[in-house]
Amino acid sequence: MMLDPKNVTGVTMPWEEKKKEYPVIKGDVETVKKWWEQIDGVACAFLWFVVTAM
Amino acid sequence: MAKTMEELYQERMTRYSKAMMLEKPDKVPFRPFAAEIAGKIAGYNAQEVTHDVDKALDAVIKMCKKVDGIDATVSNMVYVWTGLTESYGTKYIRIPGIDLEVDESFQYMEPRTEENAFMKADEYDRFIENPTEFVANVWMPRISKYIKMPGETNTMANNMAWLRGGIAMMMYGGKIGAHVQKMREEAGVVSCLDGALKAPFDILADKFRGFRGIAYDMRRQPDKVLKATEAVAPHMLWNALGGANADKRIPVSHWMHRGATGFFSNEIFEKFYWPSLKMVTEKIWEAGHQTIYYAEGKWGKNLQYFRQLPDKSIIFHCDKDDIYEVHKVLGDKFCISGGVPNHMLAFAEPADIRKHVKKIVQDFGKDGGFILDAEAIMQQDVKVENFIAMAQACTEYGVV
Repeated sequence: MMLDPKNVTGVTMPWEEKKKEYPVIKGDVETVKKWWEQIDGVACAFLWFVVTAM
Repeated sequence: MAKTMEELYQERMTRYSKAMMLEKPDKVPFRPFAAEIAGKIAGYNAQEVTHDVDKALDAVIKMCKKVDGIDATVSNMVYVWTGLTESYGTKYIRIPGIDLEVDESFQYMEPRTEENAFMKADEYDRFIENPTEFVANVWMPRISKYIKMPGETNTMANNMAWLRGGIAMMMYGGKIGAHVQKMREEAGVVSCLDGALKAPFDILADKFRGFRGIAYDMRRQPDKVLKATEAVAPHMLWNALGGANADKRIPVSHWMHRGATGFFSNEIFEKFYWPSLKMVTEKIWEAGHQTIYYAEGKWGKNLQYFRQLPDKSIIFHCDKDDIYEVHKVLGDKFCISGGVPNHMLAFAEPADIRKHVKKIVQDFGKDGGFILDAEAIMQQDVKVENFIAMAQACTEYGVV
């Protein structure tokens, strides 16, 4: 089955989009990315938890 | 010397795991899906176990301690904590003690008109393009009294609904995690489910378009319905695996609705319901997890489709089908659970329950791959003495 490229799981705001907010990241990019993605994933989990379980 | 709780837990986990993997355990496992009946045993009414999650969880512990013979059970079968759903203002749930009498079960209320549907007939393209965006920006504002759509005037009620909802979900997850450990340490009982799956077609029918809406759509815009099931399927998989048990011994739950044979034809099932569900189930199995097909209603005409799944990938829970027929069709490939009609648990006497359980466990237990349970979740209409009789009879006759 072919999915729309916008249809990704576990993401509400992709890191690529978030990254544009920073003119430069002076330290470790991966640290910033990791925690953005983890917390955004939990926010996404909230949405689908409500849909599927509540 | 009496067994420790950990020894009991390990014994019960082995029993449960073996049955699910089509092996023959030392005894037929008793795995009650005990909802409001747990509260009844513990002395709580429906409002208490639905709106007060601490009482709901306490009820399960009390039930496990009071009733000997429970091998595994659901950590909270009154799964909708209405304290949580009220935090973001859910419109579609009727709550005991608020909308209903204190000892009535909570109810889902599906919108009756297209005007009130949570997803309109002309919104498939937006849903298909990005279901998460649709849920956040369209569905949540429609199902909530407080949440606003982008572009609407913002309110504090909107902001706080999101905040409260997210916090409540984290609270619920934390409480369930601690409770599963408490079941193990204080009662030696296995929490029998982890992770939640819904068939893509069911989620579309139950939560977005409603039964009437989906019935019209399958005639008027069938391609879009099919694409919508395909679009939402990865999210169902992600959601199921996200909550799945790390050591992979506990199955993912799957609550099955509109694929039952009373709703739609075989052709509809084959075209709209089965392909995306099959794909998701196979992916869950590839990830190392079994799935419980909690097949509410009758599924007789569709049982053959489930044989397409890998051996042992599901546990088929039998509700209103003839369990002997289900065992005949699926019993060589999958573990079967169920066996005790809820009407018996509500209206019969303990002696009748014992007689029925004896026959069921002796007929199916000798080959393994069978778990005793009621046909459907057990609510407040189940007699406590019948619940206890079911557990006792399984202990007494389940060693075959």
